[in-house]
Amino acid sequence: MTENKTLPATDALMPMTEIQVRQVRDFVDSLAEESQTYWDMVAIGDELSRELHITPELVILYADAVEDYNPWYEGWKMNTWKIPGESPFGPAVVPPLLVSHFVLSVQFDHTKPFAVGSIHTFHDSEILEPIPVGATVRITTRAIDKFIKRERRYVRHEVHVTDVTSGRLYFREVRDILSL
Amino acid sequence: MTDTLLGRPVQGLVTRDTPVGHTLVGVKKKAAIQLMGSRLWGRFNPNHWDPVYAAQTGLAAPIQTGEMSSAYIAEMCVNHFGANFLRGARVVCKYVGSTLANEVITTHGVVREKTPKGNGYRFTVDVWAENEAGDKKTVGWVEVDVGV
Repeated sequence: MTENKTLPATDALMPMTEIQVRQVRDFVDSLAEESQTYWDMVAIGDELSRELHITPELVILYADAVEDYNPWYEGWKMNTWKIPGESPFGPAVVPPLLVSHFVLSVQFDHTKPFAVGSIHTFHDSEILEPIPVGATVRITTRAIDKFIKRERRYVRHEVHVTDVTSGRLYFREVRDILSL
Repeated sequence: MTDTLLGRPVQGLVTRDTPVGHTLVGVKKKAAIQLMGSRLWGRFNPNHWDPVYAAQTGLAAPIQTGEMSSAYIAEMCVNHFGANFLRGARVVCKYVGSTLANEVITTHGVVREKTPKGNGYRFTVDVWAENEAGDKKTVGWVEVDVGV
């Protein structure tokens, strides 16, 4: 199937019927929104914060997509469903970089259109304590720098992930986003 | 190391005696478009899964989110350092090249340094992820306490 002579087909990388192709094109079209560049969206000192409940199912979604089948992360199992799980720390724990993946959802103001053309380029992450599956954490991001390197614009954030109940600091990170 | 839990060595495969220069056996993954475009990963941005949109933005193919290769590197590190990687560890990754759909990515690690700490060492390991042609996609290092 070819929509345009100069572009690859929607189904070039995975098989689809014409109904699926139309659904994909409609979905992609629906994502088109006027948005600022990330550089313009963020000012140094901006702080954003959200809570994330790390359910067993969320952990499975994350781990399956990166094909990491370590049983220490399993607080959910097919047929049995929710289980306490087992890890060297007691019950199941969260994969070490799971919370880093969700930082994106915090540092980009989710109430605004997504800043197109942004690329995550760097992270310096400290895994301070294991996070139990089922914990609710607060992810807080603060813009600490905006800089230009080799004619490219970067926004730097520092991140803290804490347990909402105990206040325990689980994870800390510095990360850069390349902006248009 | 004999202590295992659910089939995995609790302390991993690296011990206090593991020397500088030791090579970690990595993990190998295919950049599967279905996973790249899953809701939890890249669905919100068609550059991660739609060949049409990716071509319109100048990409040769949809690109995987960098965090997926960081997750692969973390999986390798848990294999080698076990529970030690889940407490007091550090992971530094720079995404130096785009991982394109259908590329096969392998992670690598080499112990660069051992700094005495407590009863053991803090290991520094150079890590990277590359495609089958040897093009590096992600480079960095990790620090992990062993036997401390």
